[in-house]
Amino acid sequence: MIEIDNVSKWYLDFQVLKGCSTNVAKGEVVIVCGPSGSGKSTLIKCVNGLEPFQKGNITVDGISVGDVKTNLPKLRARVGMVFQHFELFPHMSVLQNLTIGQIKVLGRDEEESRVRAFKLLDRVGLHEFADKFPGNLSGGQQQRVAIARALAMDPIAMLFDEPTSALDPEMINEVLDVMVALAKDGMTMMVVTHEMGFARSVANRVIFMDRGEIVEDAKKDDFFGKPRSERAQLFLSKILHH
Amino acid sequence: MKYNWNWGIFFEISPDGVHTYLGSLMFGMVWTLATALSAWIIALAVGSVIGVLRTAPNPWLARFANGYVELFRNIPLLVQMFLWYFVLPEVVPSSIGTWLKQLPNASFYTTVFCLGLYTAARVAEQLRAGILSLRSGQRMAGLAMGLTLPQTYRYVLLPMAYRIILPPLTSEFLNIIKNSAVALTIGLMELTAAARSMQEFSFQVFEAFTGATIIYIVINIIVVNGMRILEKRLSVPGYISLGKPAAAH
Ligand SMILES: Nc1ncnc2c1ncn2[C@@H]1O[C@H](COP(=O)(O)OP(=O)(O)OP(=O)(O)O)[C@@H](O)[C@H]1O
Ligand SMILES: [Mg+2]
Repeated sequence: MIEIDNVSKWYLDFQVLKGCSTNVAKGEVVIVCGPSGSGKSTLIKCVNGLEPFQKGNITVDGISVGDVKTNLPKLRARVGMVFQHFELFPHMSVLQNLTIGQIKVLGRDEEESRVRAFKLLDRVGLHEFADKFPGNLSGGQQQRVAIARALAMDPIAMLFDEPTSALDPEMINEVLDVMVALAKDGMTMMVVTHEMGFARSVANRVIFMDRGEIVEDAKKDDFFGKPRSERAQLFLSKILHH
Repeated sequence: MKYNWNWGIFFEISPDGVHTYLGSLMFGMVWTLATALSAWIIALAVGSVIGVLRTAPNPWLARFANGYVELFRNIPLLVQMFLWYFVLPEVVPSSIGTWLKQLPNASFYTTVFCLGLYTAARVAEQLRAGILSLRSGQRMAGLAMGLTLPQTYRYVLLPMAYRIILPPLTSEFLNIIKNSAVALTIGLMELTAAARSMQEFSFQVFEAFTGATIIYIVINIIVVNGMRILEKRLSVPGYISLGKPAAAH
């Protein structure tokens, strides 16, 4: 579904990504972890073309992201994205946040998009919040709305960039629960996170990044088991002791 | 100095033989409002385009927009007025120049145009700051759901940016009303010019300018209160200061 082939990216002369290659098959859940500044966000934003890259190739469902002829908005509409800081549109109600993309991008009519929106709000347990504004919701609720907003576009894959790291601890689980359910439903997911409990329960593979490189790309059990790189070991011991 | 106060002067017939002095001040006010409102429409339209271009990814368009702002902000308004009114008709082909000079209400059109383009530079500066005060994730969220860049501006960035800059936009609108007085230098009979002419014919300088001042103040109060109501109606529930969502726990 997502194929990342030898991707390199520079900010001026600073190389953020160094020949990264990996792929995410249909229905697979892949976790991306690594220290701060290692390029996790950058890599995931390359997948839907939010960040350009100078070398290599990424395809999503067979469509090349880096190709100038690719209709990026059309491609992005098929890939959902969830951000660390939710990024709901503050001037729109929860319902409008869920319908705007359906109406403006997918061309659905008002009624159809409302029905779809309410279905997804039910799914994340926020049906009665439809007419509230993001500013009146807790962080956990906002992130669940953000997930519903992405799902409203009926994406073929979902990208998550540290979806729980801006949340108060007591709200992390309500968001992870939604993500676990999504994974069990067979959604293709690429998730940047340090929630190793979540990784253990639903991941197929774990990718470890450091200084712009994919240092380790292993099946979940191998990653949490014995043999792995020293850097990954060090990183794991740090975050697991928190 | 002996000064004869005469507040009744407002109700005496002015030299035009038809209207009272109060009436001519009112005409002045109407010209001031017409000038300010028309210029404001240009300022908002041009300023919005320039402001957006300054934050757009295309470096050439951004450079063009930055150049516009630098040019119009750094030349004194009075100089710009003279350039448009006296110099422009001389440097364009003579047929156009003659047409410009013979245009009825030329000083009105010149003022509207000049003031509009001048204020546009200031609006553009405010709008750019407003857009940049939004978290970069907002743009990404819009693009990530498949909106095109123009759609992202239209539905995501601008609605918040305009709300954020409503207070400085109010000041710009008040400025445009005040700045329209510069038009008296090219012969537009707006409020300040009307007060000056009243003083010249009646010698009641204090009354004339007191009258004009009161009218300016009343307009100000109306504008400020109108904008306050607008601000309240457009306020976003739960959204507090600049660019940061309210933390509701
Ligand atoms: N616009 C930019 N210009 C220059 N350097 C940048 C830019 N954006 C990111 N970087 C740098 O690229 C590197 C990778 O950033 P990235 O955000 O991908 O890291 P990350 O792994 O997501 O880190 P974190 O865990 O802190 O989110 C960092 O060193 C960062 O400073
Ligand atoms: Mg990051």
